[in-house]
Amino acid sequence: MIRHLFTLIWNRKKNNFLMITEIFFSFIVLFGVLSLAFYYIDNYNKPLGYQHDKVWVMTLRWNQEKPKEVKEIQGRLQQQLKSNPEVEGVALVSSNVPYTMQQMSGDFHHNNRRTQSDFFQVDKDFAAIMQLKIKDGRWFNDQDQNSKFNSIVITQSLRDAVFKEEPVIGKVVAGMSGDDKNPKNKIIGVVEAYKQKGEYSEDKPGFFEYKYLENAADSTWVPFNSVLIRVKPGVTSAFEEKLMKQASQVAKGWTLEIKSMNEMRISQNKLALIPLIVFSVVCGFLIINVALGLFGVLWYNISRRISEIGLRRAIGAASGQVYRQFIGEVLVLATFGILFGMVVAAQFPLLQVFGVQTGVYIAALGSAVVIIYALAAGCAAYPSLQAAKIAPATALHEE
Amino acid sequence: MLKNYIKIAWKVLLRRKFFTFISLFGISFTLMILMVATAMIDHVTGSHTPETHLDRTLFINFIKMTGKKQGSMMNTTPSYYYLTHYVKTLKTPEKISISSVFKGVNSYVNNKRLSLDLKYTDAEFWEILEFKFLEGKPFNRQDLKNANKVAVITRHTRDQYFGAGVSAVGKYLVADGIRYQVCGVVEDVPISRFNSYAHLWVPVSTANINKADTGLPGDYNGIILAKSASDIPEIQAEYQHIVKQIKVPDPKNYDTFSSYAEGILEGMFVRQVFGDRYTGESGMGKFIAFVTLIVFLFMLMPTINLININVSRILERSSEIGVRKAFGASSRTLIGQFLVENIFLTLLGGFLGFLLSALALQLISNSGIIPYAQLTLNWRVFGIGIGLSLLFGLLSGVIPAYKMSKLQAVEALKGGNL
Repeated sequence: MIRHLFTLIWNRKKNNFLMITEIFFSFIVLFGVLSLAFYYIDNYNKPLGYQHDKVWVMTLRWNQEKPKEVKEIQGRLQQQLKSNPEVEGVALVSSNVPYTMQQMSGDFHHNNRRTQSDFFQVDKDFAAIMQLKIKDGRWFNDQDQNSKFNSIVITQSLRDAVFKEEPVIGKVVAGMSGDDKNPKNKIIGVVEAYKQKGEYSEDKPGFFEYKYLENAADSTWVPFNSVLIRVKPGVTSAFEEKLMKQASQVAKGWTLEIKSMNEMRISQNKLALIPLIVFSVVCGFLIINVALGLFGVLWYNISRRISEIGLRRAIGAASGQVYRQFIGEVLVLATFGILFGMVVAAQFPLLQVFGVQTGVYIAALGSAVVIIYALAAGCAAYPSLQAAKIAPATALHEE
Repeated sequence: MLKNYIKIAWKVLLRRKFFTFISLFGISFTLMILMVATAMIDHVTGSHTPETHLDRTLFINFIKMTGKKQGSMMNTTPSYYYLTHYVKTLKTPEKISISSVFKGVNSYVNNKRLSLDLKYTDAEFWEILEFKFLEGKPFNRQDLKNANKVAVITRHTRDQYFGAGVSAVGKYLVADGIRYQVCGVVEDVPISRFNSYAHLWVPVSTANINKADTGLPGDYNGIILAKSASDIPEIQAEYQHIVKQIKVPDPKNYDTFSSYAEGILEGMFVRQVFGDRYTGESGMGKFIAFVTLIVFLFMLMPTINLININVSRILERSSEIGVRKAFGASSRTLIGQFLVENIFLTLLGGFLGFLLSALALQLISNSGIIPYAQLTLNWRVFGIGIGLSLLFGLLSGVIPAYKMSKLQAVEALKGGNL
């Protein structure tokens, strides 16, 4: 029966060509949008790595002070902010805090392995403010200030990408410098995850670099552009103005801006979802379009084959058989479209085009197949029912 | 003749309402999406207040340093020093303005934070760009010379800070810890207008600019107004002449310095995304090819759909075709007839598409996805839409019409297969 249907469709391939092309394109479009959706879902389900609630971000822009003066002011600013009873803790960090567009990245080397990695310059209070989960080793403390190495804490995803199963704690590696002979970075800990760009983004490889204001070695520049402030529960935004007044008295003439991380999160996530929403709308429209077209053409084709149906019914085919035949024909048609589509879609995981996990593509491929079959069967249901209802006598009479 | 064809087309449309609905749905929704996309692009790059003279305005938003050997690149906004020393000296333009990239500042009213974007500008800024002043006026050269702490604010800022509709001119506003006197209130500017957008504009002489700093990267932009559109090539040539003489500040890492005075689409978008890393190629060709490909692929599916339906519809009318052929109608006449019918249908769909897109744009504008943006259908977008409808009509009409015209009269009368 099924082989018979395939031959039937194949023999009429010229007539069915356009319909197969249409199914092929809808399959590809559907696959693309579903891949994006599954990618987001996959990312969303993985741990974020930090707590954004109750964290405020103050960005600092200074004027013409020398690095030494800037650091001195930053130190006083930190003390001043900490002295408020409403404040739980204060940390100085580089500008690429969570939910910003800022990014700092480079090539992370270890022996022959390398990966693109983000890096974050933070002080020792950062882990407590963001409530990072330490998986292995420890976070920075004062003893790192005397270390002759540059202490770093890496994320689990950087460990997976570069070190695989090797033990990493205490290891001295080249890191970003790429100088394997004279490595300077000492790994002292591993954190569970750190998705800087928010819930919907990937947990990219990254590491934290320990910086402190008193470090004489980097006297020519200032590592920190932001201050993270964790406030106690129950503190409202009314406290902001007081905080700002204090801050601008310490850092006279600087441009200071304060925002709650929650606010930043809302706008960043909105931005992240826009492509998915736009693509879904466009894809939805194309699919509706195709479904309507399929429906119309099937309906028309069946009404043209009334005499054939009548003949089959007259020689004893049950109406259920006729129904199954028409549905079957459409499903075979869809199979052709899907097969061609699969050939194209399979290239994405095979060639690793966007470096997305293969599982995401497989899930998208599977769902796209199911949706296309459901769509085809749905479109064929009503016309096929009409065909099955044809009485042999009427059909033959018409002829 | 044409009238007859259209009459026939109308009758055919009414005969099979479901097919008509499918065709119209396909055309109108495809057009709607294309129109919304065009309106978005037009919103970002077309002439709109305050950037009203885009045909003779050039922007200098980026300077780029590259080192081919080291594979290094630095693409950034230029410094105040760069703009005053290299751009302000241009002879051909009518006016040159320097303004800063906007920066976020805080302001507080009744214990509530107001996040404002602040831009430092000069006096020419207000002469080149035509802001819609609701009250007051811009600051002038004298204010700039004296470094007066005055500010022009938007309607939104005024409503938030002083209360909705309350006159603000002459009153004081504290932003970033500095007290500014409001001298004018303008209509809101959407954020997509990067070069003019802000919530408050203040004189560039009040900014903390280090006079001793001669670095080229910074956070300022240049806007150039030409005397007429025909002067633009001359200005660009003069600018390139200056750019060629600039020495790269860090020859260890970079060997080439480049910067261009261009329109928004080319300079802000196309060059940033498609431009060549090392040569002066702006990537406009690549961009046009890319957009054409996307539009083509997008229109392909509805078109295939329409062809499918048209083939079915024409088959249905095979006896009519047979009769006309038997009475001596040539293939060309028949193709003509079906093309006219199809174009009629497409234009009808196009018209519906316009109504739908007007509705969609209204919804997008009101939803506040793009703050302060009012997306409108304008005549340029309308023209593009009409062009696309016709292209659509031709694409989906030619194939079935051609197939149909090849039918033999006898076969057609019998209701033959295509």
